[in-house]
Amino acid sequence: MAPTTDLLQGTLDLLILKTLALESMHGWGIALRIQQISKDALQIGQGSLYPALHRLEYKGWISADWGASENNRRAKFYSLTRTGKKQLEAELEDWDRLTAAIALVLKQV
Amino acid sequence: MFIELLTRLRFFIARKTHREVDEELQFHLEQQTQANIAAGMPPQEARRQAAIAFGGVEHAREECREQRPGYFVETLLQDIRYAMRGFRRNPVFTITVVLTLMLGIGSTTAVFSIVDRILFRSLPYARADRLVSLGMVHSVETQEFLMGNFYYDWRDNQKPFEAMTSEQTGTHECDLTEGKPAQLSCESVEGNFLSVLGVSPVLGRNFQPEEARLGGPNVALISYGLWLTYSNLDPGILNKTIEIDGGPVRVVGVLPRDFEMPRLQAVDVLFPIALDEAADRTANGGYGRPRRAFARLKSGVSIQQAQAELQPLFQDDLKLVPSELRYDFHLKVRSLRERQMQDARLTAWVLLGAVFAVLLIACANVASLLMARGATRGRELAVRSALGASRTRLARQALTEALLLSFAGAIAGCALAEGLLHLFIAIGPASIPYLNQTALDLRIIGFIVFLSITCGGLFGLAPALQKPNREALNGRLLTLVSHATVRQWLVVAQIAASMVLLTGATLLLRSFRNLQNQHLGMRDDSTLTVSVTLGEHNYPTTQSEMTFFQQLERRLQFGSGVSLVATTDSLPPVSDHDKTRYDLIEVSGRPPSNRETGAVVTYRLISPNYFRVLDIPIVRGKGFSDEELTSSEHFIVLSQLLASLLFPGKNAVGERLRFGSNPSDAWCTVVGVAANVRNGGLTGEEEPEYYALRRNRAEDWDRGGTWGRTSVVMVRSALPPQEMSRWIRSQVAALDPTLPVDIATLRQRVSKLADRPRFQTTLVGFFATTGLVLAVIGLYGVISFLVAQRTQEIGVRIALGASRGNVLRLVMGKSLRLIVWGALIGLLSALAVSRVLSSLLFSIGPHDPTTFALVTLLLVLVALAATLIPARSATKVDPIVALRCD
Repeated sequence: MAPTTDLLQGTLDLLILKTLALESMHGWGIALRIQQISKDALQIGQGSLYPALHRLEYKGWISADWGASENNRRAKFYSLTRTGKKQLEAELEDWDRLTAAIALVLKQV
Repeated sequence: MFIELLTRLRFFIARKTHREVDEELQFHLEQQTQANIAAGMPPQEARRQAAIAFGGVEHAREECREQRPGYFVETLLQDIRYAMRGFRRNPVFTITVVLTLMLGIGSTTAVFSIVDRILFRSLPYARADRLVSLGMVHSVETQEFLMGNFYYDWRDNQKPFEAMTSEQTGTHECDLTEGKPAQLSCESVEGNFLSVLGVSPVLGRNFQPEEARLGGPNVALISYGLWLTYSNLDPGILNKTIEIDGGPVRVVGVLPRDFEMPRLQAVDVLFPIALDEAADRTANGGYGRPRRAFARLKSGVSIQQAQAELQPLFQDDLKLVPSELRYDFHLKVRSLRERQMQDARLTAWVLLGAVFAVLLIACANVASLLMARGATRGRELAVRSALGASRTRLARQALTEALLLSFAGAIAGCALAEGLLHLFIAIGPASIPYLNQTALDLRIIGFIVFLSITCGGLFGLAPALQKPNREALNGRLLTLVSHATVRQWLVVAQIAASMVLLTGATLLLRSFRNLQNQHLGMRDDSTLTVSVTLGEHNYPTTQSEMTFFQQLERRLQFGSGVSLVATTDSLPPVSDHDKTRYDLIEVSGRPPSNRETGAVVTYRLISPNYFRVLDIPIVRGKGFSDEELTSSEHFIVLSQLLASLLFPGKNAVGERLRFGSNPSDAWCTVVGVAANVRNGGLTGEEEPEYYALRRNRAEDWDRGGTWGRTSVVMVRSALPPQEMSRWIRSQVAALDPTLPVDIATLRQRVSKLADRPRFQTTLVGFFATTGLVLAVIGLYGVISFLVAQRTQEIGVRIALGASRGNVLRLVMGKSLRLIVWGALIGLLSALAVSRVLSSLLFSIGPHDPTTFALVTLLLVLVALAATLIPARSATKVDPIVALRCD
């Protein structure tokens, strides 16, 4: 198993938004997707996913609707709203700037 | 941003149900379990792993709920409801806390309202902190002034100021001589006066340059008050002509409502000084007319720098002063606030200090009470914490309670402050500026809210920081014993603070008693004093002044019930009398001496009955007689002090002296020596004094000083003062109905001098008592808390054979240790602090040993008495009950 990395403060929101940019998903799906794509490097505390989802929903960046899951169970599906999309773009930009800056510093020193 | 708000609002109204969240979380867990089973785990293990991966379900659920908008308000309301229930269950606690806070916040606010104006609030001028008052002082005139000549030199050559301006000294009474005649206060100021102060008229305009020149048009600015009384705020007053002192004056503007002269004197009409500078330079013996000068500092220049930069100009001008007097002249530059408040600032700081000590004691008390409550609630907190309440949640609850209490205290304190303020104003002395205008205003309400929040934060934090003790869950009393260390230190601090307060109050009280019991050297009972100031227009000559007062004296002499009447230009012990230099006195037959004592001699112009009305004994020679009233010679009576200075060991009667070496200074014959009278105010040094007879000659009514036009008629009568003063008023009105008359008994005038000390003493005494009571409550609370906690232990001791004495000693010993520590710290701080008071004290030192001993004794006794109650209850513990109570 690859070594896991703790999530940076505030990056969970970004990961959620990015994951939802492709399609609407329920909570478990989001957790699974992040884990899979990061090749298990990012272990997000599944418990802490839900407060974050709710927070984003209250902010109006994502919206939630009840729907049927793959195995036909009632599940809550989250999808990105218009403001959410804008927010994602802004946060991606910020992220790029930040990582570029850090990379620059690390290379220099 | 807007959409986000809308979303939040939507969720605030349409909340998610608990079930919804539960279902969502449940779905996640099941999904994970399925996945685990699919990966080949047995079902039970799959569920276990899923739960592990998820973490605390309850925790996640809580956190989800906390994200909800409005969660904060909800918990706040919950906390408030919970706190209110708690307060109702424990009314004694609640009332004690609220009352303590009320006392603390109420007295702080009332005092702050008073000192705000004196110490902090900016004066009603633009950038008032850059304004200074400047000039020269000497021993006869201790308030800075400048002679006209010097003023022009300084104004033209100074560097530290943006601009200088001045007002004229001298009489300011003038008469409105149209419509309903009345005496007004008129001031003459330089044309740039208002612009230097940074004041602009509410109506009309400032003076223009040509109006401040000799021969310019007669114009004036009037005060807001006069605008109201004269024309009922009619804007048509502009450019109208009013008649003052018989001449027409055009009103060009109205001063703002809050305008005040830099020296705070009353003003109705402001004239521009219309002077020819060249002529003024040669007037008044080559000195020019005296001025009061003010200036605005350039930015970045401090008062000390300004003083240093003015020094060369001052030294230059000093060459014009007679060489034998130069040593006595000093340069003075001080801030306008200091000029206005004089020594009221010290009183203000002392009051503020005292009241903050009370506030600290009160806060310590409340903190201590809340901590005691927290300690007894250990179990409750432990239960709540075990049920899942987080530390922050518990802290918030505690903070909410504290804030609620402090708001209740603030509201009660507001009411108390309002009441206290009325009381303070009623007993307050006239010498504290603005006192009668003080009211609780918005700023002060803001101050209260700030105070209560600080208080709340301060003592709300203490119990909130206590860690809930899990062992408290089992409810065994023994584990609950806390040593209340913080509270014990709080009590020590309280005792120390009240020690300082008590020392200050006792020193002031004893000083005040000294003041009251001192011998004035004259009688002050059954004498009314009638002070009248004659305007220059209606009484242009000294002859007319003399005629007026002679007529008045004659009218009063023959009133029924009047036994004696005398006239004087001033009254002891008030120090507002004329002064001259001791060094100038020349004795006939002695060469002029070159003394440089700098001493000041008081003098009064009196009528022959003066000594009889005041019962001042003549110790040598005789007083003045009626025959001397018409003599062409000058007669004087010396005070014993002056006689012994001038003629040590010799008889002064018959000697001749004069008060200046100019040929115009007349020689006076000493006819008698009178006993000394307190004449330097109540607290000042006794000054040497002489009395000159005011003969029936107009020249004797010319005083030339600033007080020139005021005289005081003294009436000795056995009739009630109210009745008498009504009659006197009617007699003055019969002579001139426009004259304002100031009537008071002599005793009232003397007692007025003690107003400031009385005010200080009452207030600090009140605060000291409050502080002591609060500190004693605090001590009592802590000791009874400790006793209650040790009930079981005491029961065991008694069961094992401890006597009542042993138990009493056990409890009292604990309390005594706190008292001794508190008294010790208090004593040391009081020794350091009381030095501040030394200039407020009269014939008592700031480190008076009797006072310190008395206060220590009092404090220790009261504190011991307060602990006697819990100590006695400890001795009455029934061992059987105590042992069973667990």
